[in-house]
Amino acid sequence: MTTVAGAEPRADGPDEEERTRGAPFVPGQPDMWVFVLFEALVFTSYFTVYVIRRTQSPALFLQSQAHLDLRVGVFNTLVLLVSSWAVARCVQAGREGSHRTALNNAYLTMLFGVVFLVSKVLEWTTEIEQGFSFTTDEFFSFYYFLTAIHFLHLLIGFVVLGVAVYQIRSPARRSQELVETCATYWHTIDFLWVLIFALLYVMR
Amino acid sequence: MSAATTGAVPEVPAGSLVRKIAWHWRYDEKRELWIGWWTLVVFYNLYGLLFFVIARTQPPPPPSLAPAEIVRWFDDRRYGLLCGYAIVSIVGGATAIMNATLAYTMRRMSVSRAFAYSYLVIYALATLPGMLIMGVACTVGAMRPERDPELVSWLYDFAFLSFEGTMGVFLVGSLVWMVAVLLDKNRVFPKWFGYLNLCNALTEVVVAPAWIFKRGVFAWDGAIAWWINMAVFVTYTAVFLTLLRKMIVREDFGTGPLPELESDRALEPAGTLGAAR
Repeated sequence: MTTVAGAEPRADGPDEEERTRGAPFVPGQPDMWVFVLFEALVFTSYFTVYVIRRTQSPALFLQSQAHLDLRVGVFNTLVLLVSSWAVARCVQAGREGSHRTALNNAYLTMLFGVVFLVSKVLEWTTEIEQGFSFTTDEFFSFYYFLTAIHFLHLLIGFVVLGVAVYQIRSPARRSQELVETCATYWHTIDFLWVLIFALLYVMR
Repeated sequence: MSAATTGAVPEVPAGSLVRKIAWHWRYDEKRELWIGWWTLVVFYNLYGLLFFVIARTQPPPPPSLAPAEIVRWFDDRRYGLLCGYAIVSIVGGATAIMNATLAYTMRRMSVSRAFAYSYLVIYALATLPGMLIMGVACTVGAMRPERDPELVSWLYDFAFLSFEGTMGVFLVGSLVWMVAVLLDKNRVFPKWFGYLNLCNALTEVVVAPAWIFKRGVFAWDGAIAWWINMAVFVTYTAVFLTLLRKMIVREDFGTGPLPELESDRALEPAGTLGAAR
């Protein structure tokens, strides 16, 4: 039987002393990085399947891909990159103790997130109106699948940003570690989108 | 939870495994939890054996089979289906013990009891699409090989859609566990397990296209809808069984934070990663 130690409460929050000493540390909860790595693995497997299927029917994929508007994809990417920049500023402001700025940047991140969602829904609507739906062909199945599963991650991202805002708003519960954990999640969404954009819109 | 002991408890006997088991049965105050954990381990192994080897319904066959091919599919594994699902129907009740053990982890957390109750209800429902409907449909299909092929095709679709396509209950179950782990202050499970629950829940969503496609990667036997999901599910199951075992070892039957294992404390880095939890 494995022995157990006595229950000692562990400090909830980042080790500020380590940070000020300049020791290397992982932003936010290290636990969130497990999610990042696991999701990266799962998405890598989706991408692998996509690339294999694309290799098997290159003409079909190229032909269908031509119906996507690259400008929309670029716009989506820029919007999410700016949202990532805003959440990074939120973290930085929190570390400097400028909580008002941190809060504004969290709201700015949400705003760009909403812009992304609206533009994605508009893009889907346009594609469907042109007759390209989930079952049109294999390329469009992948297109709707990858963008929809990413969309779902983004929706969860709003809950995550809500947690960050909730933390920042009150000095009593303010946890920089949790804010950084939320920012890590948001960056992951951005990172995954860049890969989806490259595969669906750019790869020839 | 109480030990069946009065007076001094003797040391765990060395040597014979049978004597050790007898000691645990008589004196171990965590006896019921260990029974629950072993039920989970045995059940999942048996589940794999019954579905993959005896009934041979997993990995799933293609949804695009013609009625004549479906009849042949049933004929090829007739006795496997009949015997396999007869055993499934016998051991299916073990899910009550399993679900109770998993719900116990939420009762040990600092969160509302509503989490444990929700989990129990949702996983009691999950037994139907996750096991019983498919078992009954496959048994009915295998029972009378002379039945009209169209009817057999109906049973085939019913069996596999109910099994592969109904992931909503598992999705909600994973989310309930996730929120409980993330809110918990008793450190029953590490926070990363909460996030892993989210990963598992998201893969349950990915199965949804199986209702639409009869072939390809999104069909119920497809690379995305089945193979990747199965890899995630197996990883998730192995992880929660390991963490559950560790939780039982750490259990002190108190109400505050669970004590850490000595081995984990030794592994904890002096600063950096461990401190930022």
